[in-house]
Amino acid sequence: MTLLARDPRAPFALTATLLPLERRVRGYDWVLIATALALSLAGAVLVWAATRDTSRAQGLDPQGFLYRHLFNIAVAGVLMVVASRLDARLLRLFGPIVYVISLLGLAAVFLVGSTVNGAHAWIRLGGGFELQPSEFMKLGLVVGMAVLFVQRSAERDDAPPTTLDVVLAMTLIALPLAMIMLQPDLGSAMVLAAAAFGVLIAAGVRARWTIGLLALTVVVAVLAVKGGLLADYQLARFSSFTHPGQDIQGAAYNVTQAHIAIANGGLFGTGLFHGPQTNGGFVPEQRTDFVFSVAGEELGLVGGAVLIGLYGLLCWRGLRIAAGADRAGRLVAVGIVCWIAFQAFQNIGMNLGLTPVTGLPLPFVSYGGSSMFAQGLAIGLLQAVRRRSPR
Amino acid sequence: MVLTLSVRLYYVQLLDPDQPVQTAGRLHDAAIVVPAPRGRILDARGRVLVDNASAQVLSVNREVLQAQPDGGTSVLTRLAGLLNTTPALLAKQITPCSPTVAAPCWTGQPYEPVPVASNASTAVALAVSEHREQFPGVELKTVAVPNYPGGTLAAHVLGYTGQITAADKTANPALSDEDTIGLSGLQAQYDSALRGTDGRQVVQLSPQGTVVSDAPSGADVAAVQGDTLVTSIDADVQRLAETSLAKQIADSRAKGKRATSGAVIVMDPNTGRVIASASYPTYSPQQFIGGISNADYAALTAPQANDPLLGRAIAGQYAPGSTFKLITASSLVTHGEISLDGSYACPGSLTIDGRVKTNYDSESFGFPLTLQNALGYSCDTFFYAPEAAEYYADQARIAAGHKPDEFLQKMAAAYGVGRSPGIDLPASEQASGSYADRETRLARWKAARPQYCKDAQRGFPDEPDPAQRAFQTALAAENCTDGWRYRAGDNADMAIGQGETTLSPLQLALAYSAMLNGGRIWQPTLGWALVDGAGKVVRTITPKVRSTVPVSRSVLNYIADSLNFSRGWAVSGAFAYIGSPYQALIGGKTGTAEVFGHQDTSWLASWGPLGRDAHGNPHAKYVVVGMVEQAGTGATAAGPMLKRIYDGLLGVTGPAIVTATALPRIGAPVGAVSAPPPTPRPDVPTAPQQPGAVPTYPTRPGSGG
Repeated sequence: MTLLARDPRAPFALTATLLPLERRVRGYDWVLIATALALSLAGAVLVWAATRDTSRAQGLDPQGFLYRHLFNIAVAGVLMVVASRLDARLLRLFGPIVYVISLLGLAAVFLVGSTVNGAHAWIRLGGGFELQPSEFMKLGLVVGMAVLFVQRSAERDDAPPTTLDVVLAMTLIALPLAMIMLQPDLGSAMVLAAAAFGVLIAAGVRARWTIGLLALTVVVAVLAVKGGLLADYQLARFSSFTHPGQDIQGAAYNVTQAHIAIANGGLFGTGLFHGPQTNGGFVPEQRTDFVFSVAGEELGLVGGAVLIGLYGLLCWRGLRIAAGADRAGRLVAVGIVCWIAFQAFQNIGMNLGLTPVTGLPLPFVSYGGSSMFAQGLAIGLLQAVRRRSPR
Repeated sequence: MVLTLSVRLYYVQLLDPDQPVQTAGRLHDAAIVVPAPRGRILDARGRVLVDNASAQVLSVNREVLQAQPDGGTSVLTRLAGLLNTTPALLAKQITPCSPTVAAPCWTGQPYEPVPVASNASTAVALAVSEHREQFPGVELKTVAVPNYPGGTLAAHVLGYTGQITAADKTANPALSDEDTIGLSGLQAQYDSALRGTDGRQVVQLSPQGTVVSDAPSGADVAAVQGDTLVTSIDADVQRLAETSLAKQIADSRAKGKRATSGAVIVMDPNTGRVIASASYPTYSPQQFIGGISNADYAALTAPQANDPLLGRAIAGQYAPGSTFKLITASSLVTHGEISLDGSYACPGSLTIDGRVKTNYDSESFGFPLTLQNALGYSCDTFFYAPEAAEYYADQARIAAGHKPDEFLQKMAAAYGVGRSPGIDLPASEQASGSYADRETRLARWKAARPQYCKDAQRGFPDEPDPAQRAFQTALAAENCTDGWRYRAGDNADMAIGQGETTLSPLQLALAYSAMLNGGRIWQPTLGWALVDGAGKVVRTITPKVRSTVPVSRSVLNYIADSLNFSRGWAVSGAFAYIGSPYQALIGGKTGTAEVFGHQDTSWLASWGPLGRDAHGNPHAKYVVVGMVEQAGTGATAAGPMLKRIYDGLLGVTGPAIVTATALPRIGAPVGAVSAPPPTPRPDVPTAPQQPGAVPTYPTRPGSGG
C-alpha cells in the first residue's frame, strides 16, 4: 500500500466516487457494450441449445442453464456499471485489492477447492455456487501491473520502465502464474501470460526485455514438456492436438467430437436446436469449453463467422479506447484486450483443431459465472478508462 | 487472428474432404443383452422337471445415481437397508471392474444397469416400486430364472445353474454377463441347447457411455428361449427311488448302522436309457438360483454334510463286493476254468499265498456247489480257487517269457470297468471304476515308492494307536520293497469285487443290462430329445452299443437264471422278496463289500419283471441297482430298499407305473415364464415420463482445466 500512500491525490473515498456522474466524463462506448451483450446473448442461446436435450434426459429443467446464464449476464451487467464508474484514483486502490484478493482466492483453492477435469481450480460456495479465482486473477493481474508501472513511472515523469520495474512486474506475474500452474490449469496460465505480455509491451518495456521474456517462455515450455512439469493429461492434450485420430476415446476425443459437430454445420448450419451431435450430448464440456461447436453445428459457417467477427469488433473497440487513453488507462485496456483476444482465439482454435485443448471458456459465450463476472468487470473497466480519457 | 479462425472455420465446414461423421455414428452403437429364458427339462412323460419362474431383479443404473445431488449415497443407503447389506459393499458391486478395481465389482459394460439382487423378495420389490422417488436409478425388472418344481427331485441328474464367470466368458466369448449357465448335470451337458439365444437391444451411446436413444427399429433382436430337453427320467420312478433310498438310510440307522449315503439307479437294459438315478444325501438346485449364498455353500461342502453335491449313482465308485461275480463267472466259464456242469468246493476258508481268506461269516458248505448255487448262496471261496489258479498260470506264462492272459481283468474291461460309461453328463460327473492288474500295479508302485519307503523309515509318529502304527509301518515297508508285486490274493480279491475293484452303481447296472440283453454294453443316456419352441424335435438322443461282452448268450442266461428269486432261499438276494406276489418276476445278486475302517457296503443288482423273449432268453424291463454305504449285507439293506421300488413299479402299493416307451408330444411351454419383457428403455424406471436417457454432465460453472 506504500504505492498509494505516496500519491498526494489519493482520496480513498469509495462512496464519493459512486455519486452521480462527474460532469467532465465522456459517455459510454455503446458499440462495445452492444458487442459484449450480443456475444453474451448468443452465448445464452448456444448454452441453451447445448443443454436442453441432455438436461431433459436427466429429468432436469431443460431451460435451467439458460436461466442461470441469463442471471450471470445480469450480474455481470451490474458489475460492469459499477466498474465503469471507478475513476483513475480508485483504480489505483481497486487494482491491488483485486490482485491480492484473487491471489488469496488461488491460495484458498488449495485448501478448500474441488477438482474438476484434473484441475484443482474451484471453490465451492454452497448452494451449487462455485468460484474460480483464476478468472478474477486475469483482471487482477492486468490492473495490478498497470498500477505498478504507472505509479513507478509517475515518480520519474513518465520515463520508460526501469529494470527494477520489470523485475517487480515479473514478481507480480510469477506469483499467480505459479499458483495456477500448480492447480494445474494450463489454459488460464497461458491467458495470464498473454495478458501480462500485452501490458509489458504497452508499458514501453525495452525490446531486449520483451524478446528475452519470449525466449524464456519457450525455454520453460520445452523444459516443462521434457522435464515432466506438465501433468499427463496436459501432455496428452498437446499430443492429441498433433495427432487427433489416434486415441478416439481418450484425450483427442473432445476435439474429434467437436470437429464432427462443426463439420456437420456446413454453410448455414443444421438450424438452432437441430444439431444431432449437440442434442445427443456427444461433445463433452459443450456448454463451457466447447460451446463454439454448438454455433458451428447449428448456425454453420455464417453463425461461426459472425461470432468471430464480434470478437474482432470487441477487440477493435478496446484498442480504440486504449489509443485514446492516458498511460494508466492504456495499460489496463491493452491488458484486457490481450486477455480476451488470446482467450477467444485459443478457445475457438481448439474447437477447430488449430490449438491444443486447454480448459478455457469462450469469453461472454461459455456458461460459467466466474468468467462472466470477470469479463463484466473488464468491460466496465474499459468504459471507465474511456470515460476518464482526455477528449 | 480473426482471419485465421475464419479461414479454418471455412475449411472445416465446407472444404474438409474427410468429415469424420460416419465413424462416430458407428462408434456409438451398443447392444444391451436381453437374456433368453433357459429351456425346460421334462421327464419321459412330458412332466416338468425344470422350467422357469419369474424373478424380480433389482438393478442400479449408475448414471442416474451419479446424477443425484449427493452422487447417489442416500439411494444406496436406503437400498442397502432393504437388501441387508452395506452401502459400501453395494457401491463396490456396481463399480465396473478394472485393473485398479478388484472384486466385488461389475464385470459387464459400464453403460449397463448393474443387477444387485437377482431374486428380490416381493417385499423388497414392492418397497422399491411403490417409492420410486426414493430410489432414482434403481430398476426393477422381471426375468425368467430356472425353477425346479420338484425341489430336490433328480437334483444330481438335472444339475444347477449359475451366473457366468469371467473364465466362462473367456472360454466362450459369445456368452454375455447376464447369461445363466449350466454348471452341473444335464444343465451343464446340454447348456448350449438349453441356454437359447440372447436378444440384443441396440442403443446409441453418448461419448460418456450413457444411453442416448434406441437405434432405428429393426436392429433389435428378440431373445429365443432355449430348447426343451426331454429326458428318459420318469418322475414317478425317480421319486419312488429317492423316497425308498431315504427310508432305507433311516431304517439302517435305526438298526445301528451308520448308513452314511446311498444310491439307486433304474435303467432299461433293452434301450440303455436311464429311468431314475437317486443319490443320498442330496441338495436343492434351487439354492443356486441367483447365486448361492456363502452360508449355503459352506453348509453343502462341510465335511459333516457328506458331499451332497456328489451324484453317487453315476459319479461315485465303490467296491462292488459279490455283485462283481457276474463278471468273474463270465470269465471263468468263458475261458473253461470252470464248467457249467461241474461242482466245486465251497470251504469256510481258503489259504492263498500264505493268507487265510474266508467266506462271509466263514460260512461253509460241506458239499461241492454248482456255479448256480455258488452264485445264489454267494460263496466266495468257490471263486477264490480258480482265480488263484489263473494267477499261477499267468505267473508261469510270464516265467516262460509270455504275456499273462489276465482273463478276469480282460472280462472286467469288456464289461466296462475302468472306462467312463460315456453317459450324457459332464465327464467329471461319471466314475470310471477301477481294477488291479500287473501293469497298473507296477506303474503305480514306481510312482508311489519313494513315499512308501519314507513312511516305512519314519514310521507313523502321528498315529496314536501303537497297533495301527505298527501295522501301517509294516505295510509301508512291504510296499516299499514288494509293492509292485501282483499276488494271487489280489486276483482272489478281484474275483469277489474287493481289493482295488470299484464300480459306480451305473456301471454295475450296465453290466447286468448286458447279462440280460445278450451282452451289449450301452453308452447310456439321460437325455431323450431336444424339442424347439414350435414342438419340433431338433435332435433325438439315442444310446449306442459301445461294445459286446465276449460271453455266449447261454452262459449269460445261465447266470441270470441262477439268480432268479423264484429259487427262494437258494438266492441270497431273494431274502426280502420271499412271499411277495412278484417274487418269481425278479432276479438279483447281492453284494456285501468290506471297506477297511468302515461298515460294509450293501448292494443289490436286480432286474425285473422277468419274462422270456421270442428265443426263450430271459427278458427284463428294468435293471435296478441299489447301494447303501455302511449299512450291512446286501440282503438286509439294499434288498428291502429295492423291494419298495418294485412294489411301486409293479402296482403293489398303488397304481402300477407305466414308464414311457415313446417320446412324448411336447407342446408350447405350459405355465413357464416367457422371455423377460423387453425393457423399452434400460434407464426408464427412474423417470418413466422422460423419453431420454441420462448423460452425465458435471454440474458446475466454469470450465475444465
